[in-house]
Amino acid sequence: MTPQLVPQARRADGEAHLTGEQFGELLARFTEDVGPEPTLAESHLQACEACSAELASLREAIALFREASDAYAERELRGIPRWRLPNRRVFSHRLVPAYWLAAAAMFVTALLPLQVLRRHAQGTPPAVAATATVGNATSSAQSDEALLEDVNRELSATVPTSMQELDDPSSDATVADSESSTATSNQRKD
Amino acid sequence: MFPTTSLSLGSEELETPLDDLESVVALYQPRVFRFLLATLRDRDAAETLTQETFLRAWSARASFREDCSVATWLIRIALNLARDHTRTGRFRFWKRVIASAVDVAEVAAFVPTRDRSAEEHLIAQQQVTEIWQTVNGLSNRQRTIFLLRFLEEMEIPEIASVTGLPLGTVKSHLYRALAIIRTQHNRSGQSTALHNLPARNATTGCATWKETR
Repeated sequence: MTPQLVPQARRADGEAHLTGEQFGELLARFTEDVGPEPTLAESHLQACEACSAELASLREAIALFREASDAYAERELRGIPRWRLPNRRVFSHRLVPAYWLAAAAMFVTALLPLQVLRRHAQGTPPAVAATATVGNATSSAQSDEALLEDVNRELSATVPTSMQELDDPSSDATVADSESSTATSNQRKD
Repeated sequence: MFPTTSLSLGSEELETPLDDLESVVALYQPRVFRFLLATLRDRDAAETLTQETFLRAWSARASFREDCSVATWLIRIALNLARDHTRTGRFRFWKRVIASAVDVAEVAAFVPTRDRSAEEHLIAQQQVTEIWQTVNGLSNRQRTIFLLRFLEEMEIPEIASVTGLPLGTVKSHLYRALAIIRTQHNRSGQSTALHNLPARNATTGCATWKETR
């Protein structure tokens, strides 16, 4: 049920009292302080005990309402878990050089171990390695030539090296061999 | 002034009081939550919309031109969210059955005791309950303006800024809300006087009320 508005300025006691608007205006001010030049409503309030008491009573009731609501809300708020706010990530142009510097440092730091690994894998400095490669190439060419000469010699020979012992039957070794073989056959005959 | 950090968008540098979200939440969360709790009377919805308020504020911080205070701006966002929330039919249905709805008696229990006697404390609790219930019966605009004025203690021009209503309209709604509360207060005062407090003048409602306290 919604209460009815009572704007009349005259009550049962027959005296003139504050209108609803005047009352609201005074109530909405919060304080009872009267300005240097009191308005009609304020003057009435100073003279009328009924209106003054009513205003004070209502002010106190509203103040109690505020205090109780405030305390209740505070208690309820304490029961709510604290929010976890995400970390703020603020980008500032003033920090751009620092960002670049950090990026360059990271790049160099990442490259350095790679270079060191590469050097370790090669074992010797590049200049030395190049010289060694040239030296190896020269020596291998010489040995190749020697090998080819040997092959050519073998091919051009009338009798292969492995058959050379059989090529000259008049040699001492051959005679001795034949003699020993003859003796062996004679012994078998006997 | 809140601690701020610079924020760069393109070549333009922006600095708003909302950049430091953690400080803003710590400073204004109780206020936003209190307003939403009193408006919606549902702690779960109030909690959700409080979070949503700060998220919206953070997302739209670039559009904050500091033509009003941070508090006013946050309350404006909270109010818009509360309006959207209450417009949905789902809210109207669940409002009747939600378990997280605020219990008026529970709120009234938070009335500070100070130097009151047990009887005075009981009366104070009763007054809080009545105002809470009467505020609940106000129209949406009246309730919002009343809460902004008396709970958030905002000035009338600030309320006009938050609600987007002209000053005259704000005053008009506020006076109507106060007239309703006053009437209800006097009515319950009379009934209390008749039943519990014989010293209170039932005719004027409060003429002798001051003397009895």
